[in-house]
Amino acid sequence: MPEAIEIQLKKGALELCVLALLSQHDGYAYEIASRLSDAIGMGEGTIYPLMRRLQADGLVETYLVESPAGPSRKYYRLTQAGRRSFEAQKSAWTSFSGAVADILGEAK
Amino acid sequence: MTRQAFLARLREGLRGLPPSLIADITADYENHFAEGVAAGRTEDEVAAALGDPGRLARELRAEHGLKQWETQRSAASGAGAVFAVLGLGAIDLLILLPILMGVGATLFGLAIACVAVFFAGGVVFAAGPFTGMAGGPAAAMLAGVGLMAGAACAGALLTLVSIALINALVAYGRLHYRLLKPALDA
Repeated sequence: MPEAIEIQLKKGALELCVLALLSQHDGYAYEIASRLSDAIGMGEGTIYPLMRRLQADGLVETYLVESPAGPSRKYYRLTQAGRRSFEAQKSAWTSFSGAVADILGEAK
Repeated sequence: MTRQAFLARLREGLRGLPPSLIADITADYENHFAEGVAAGRTEDEVAAALGDPGRLARELRAEHGLKQWETQRSAASGAGAVFAVLGLGAIDLLILLPILMGVGATLFGLAIACVAVFFAGGVVFAAGPFTGMAGGPAAAMLAGVGLMAGAACAGALLTLVSIALINALVAYGRLHYRLLKPALDA
């Protein structure tokens, strides 16, 4: 079932992607959601349970910014712990995906 | 689905959580609609991209239940965590359910037994010296204290086992809806 594999891959990578986006600059949920929805095709609604968990785990914190149009936006930024977690997850992902790529290369 | 319908179904699914948390969560999604509409999408499109509000509510509930258990160990929060994981409604959890009920019932039975032995120890301690037990009053009192201490010890062990079991279930639930439950309804 290639579809199931794809879904699992995406779900596993989701948290890492959110942390990566926030490591570049602070963001609000709609922006993060549409970015990831375009790039890796995740359901936009999933961002909120995920952000809530990241916040509860102390990896991100929020602050409000007045928006020119509409209600004020809740921005997320990485905490120190969030930055450390991102670095750790990033290196784990890089070494894992490198190993998988090597094996796939051999199979050609 | 319109914004109204989406939010109504979300609220429905979140019922029972603290009101401030529900307000917080629905405000997030309300903002999402506002942003989407401001960006030129229709409410229908935004709702479709968000996914099933019922499932989102279940995930948010589960997250809340697990967090409660992790921050505050009590019988109530433990039960909440168990129900939150079950509430995810995954099929393999339904298969797990009979086993879980068996284990739960066994633990409950053992807990009752501990309490009973503890009280029995109390009775032996208090009444034993007057019944002319072999070994005299001191032996009867010691036997009573021994029974009570044994029951307390078994009860403590039982509590540790229960906590470990709930933790395992919580870890399983986490793994399940983070990795296996499709995030991608679209």
